[in-house]
Amino acid sequence: MSSSSDTSRWGPIQTNGRWKIHAKTHLTVLAIVVIAESIGTISFPLGPGKLVLLPMLFAVGFGLLVSYSVLGKHIPPLQQFVSKDVSRLSSPLLIISLMPLGVKYGTLVGPSFQQLIDAGFAFVFQELGNLGTIFLALPLALLLGLKREAIGSAVSIAREPTLGVITDKYGIESPEGRGVLGTYLTGTVLGTVFFGLLGGYATVTGLHPLALSMACGMGSASMMTACSASLAKAVPASVATDEKILSFAATSNLLTGITGLYIVLFVGLPLINKLYAYLAPLLGREQ
Amino acid sequence: MTTLSEREFGFDSLKMLLVVGILTLVGNTIGYGISPMAAAPGMLLIVAIGLVSLFLGRHLSLELPSFAYAMVIAFLLSLPYSPVQETVLSLTEPVSFLATTTPILAYAGLSIALQVTRMKEVSWKLVIVAVVVFFGTFFGSAIISQIMLSAQGVI
Repeated sequence: MSSSSDTSRWGPIQTNGRWKIHAKTHLTVLAIVVIAESIGTISFPLGPGKLVLLPMLFAVGFGLLVSYSVLGKHIPPLQQFVSKDVSRLSSPLLIISLMPLGVKYGTLVGPSFQQLIDAGFAFVFQELGNLGTIFLALPLALLLGLKREAIGSAVSIAREPTLGVITDKYGIESPEGRGVLGTYLTGTVLGTVFFGLLGGYATVTGLHPLALSMACGMGSASMMTACSASLAKAVPASVATDEKILSFAATSNLLTGITGLYIVLFVGLPLINKLYAYLAPLLGREQ
Repeated sequence: MTTLSEREFGFDSLKMLLVVGILTLVGNTIGYGISPMAAAPGMLLIVAIGLVSLFLGRHLSLELPSFAYAMVIAFLLSLPYSPVQETVLSLTEPVSFLATTTPILAYAGLSIALQVTRMKEVSWKLVIVAVVVFFGTFFGSAIISQIMLSAQGVI
């Protein structure tokens, strides 16, 4: 890692002479945690399925709401307290606050190691399932009139590794770069809520909870967590225990973390480029 | 802002881990009724593993996030073959899984604010494609998993 990106990433956690920003940030989070946990988990039936709203979904909503760029914009005293610096400090804190979750996931995966080995092949192959997006999203992108942006936007769920690969190959200012940034930003802003709702609701498809939990592992740690925790709430323990659902999701997420970059680089990108060359003349709009 | 020295990085991230630990224990008490005293020893173990993981994330050139190291370390410690499995599981058990997620998403919400303005520059077409990407990735992966798991007789 270069020292400049390191500075921008970790610089804000410096405590020396910055206690005010730290106090504001952590007190804001304390208030959000207290309120979100007091509300607790709410689940209600919706059509054939069940929607599960976990405290973490309230937390992400409240965090965004009280921030300088949403409510703070209209309420100056709020913006003074929950300032832009609070948001800047929150980015590295996001990485740090993932540590307890990572440990909890590890302690769920360890004891169920044998079951995971039994499902070994499924884990390897489902990484390829992540490419399913290309066949669905590329045609749509072309129908919407996107050109090379379609490549970047449809190639994968676009977390950091994909963002890196596309930026490296095409540059962030290129159409492909704009495309990947679109999917990346949408995932950052909407991903947790989207997968939190989808995870619990996806049981209506009739797919097995373990298959769904493996699918929950395809994106970022927050997406995986929101998805698998809602799924675990929606599925009765007689079908699959919480531990089993969470450990399958976490293992799939870890494997995606290790292989994701290579799958995008060596399979996803060549595939979407071929498919683009074939489909663009058929579906693409003329200028 | 200057680059953090190794020492500063260590101390500052330790302080931040302790802050996160306290926030998690508060949520653990309010949401899941577990006394902070019961969960504190496990939280200290988590803070220790977290600190090691942050250093590994900073120094190993595997391009893996620290989150992955925290998971792998806890995984190794809690394997059936591990001599400390019992200890690790009984220490971390009082720290509720869901309680660890709430502070993460609170910080995430606050930091997303930095991207909201950039989000306005993203065309609505790209947002629609992104949502379809989410569905496609999720169900592509779920369908393959379903087929493979049934082929192996796991489900």
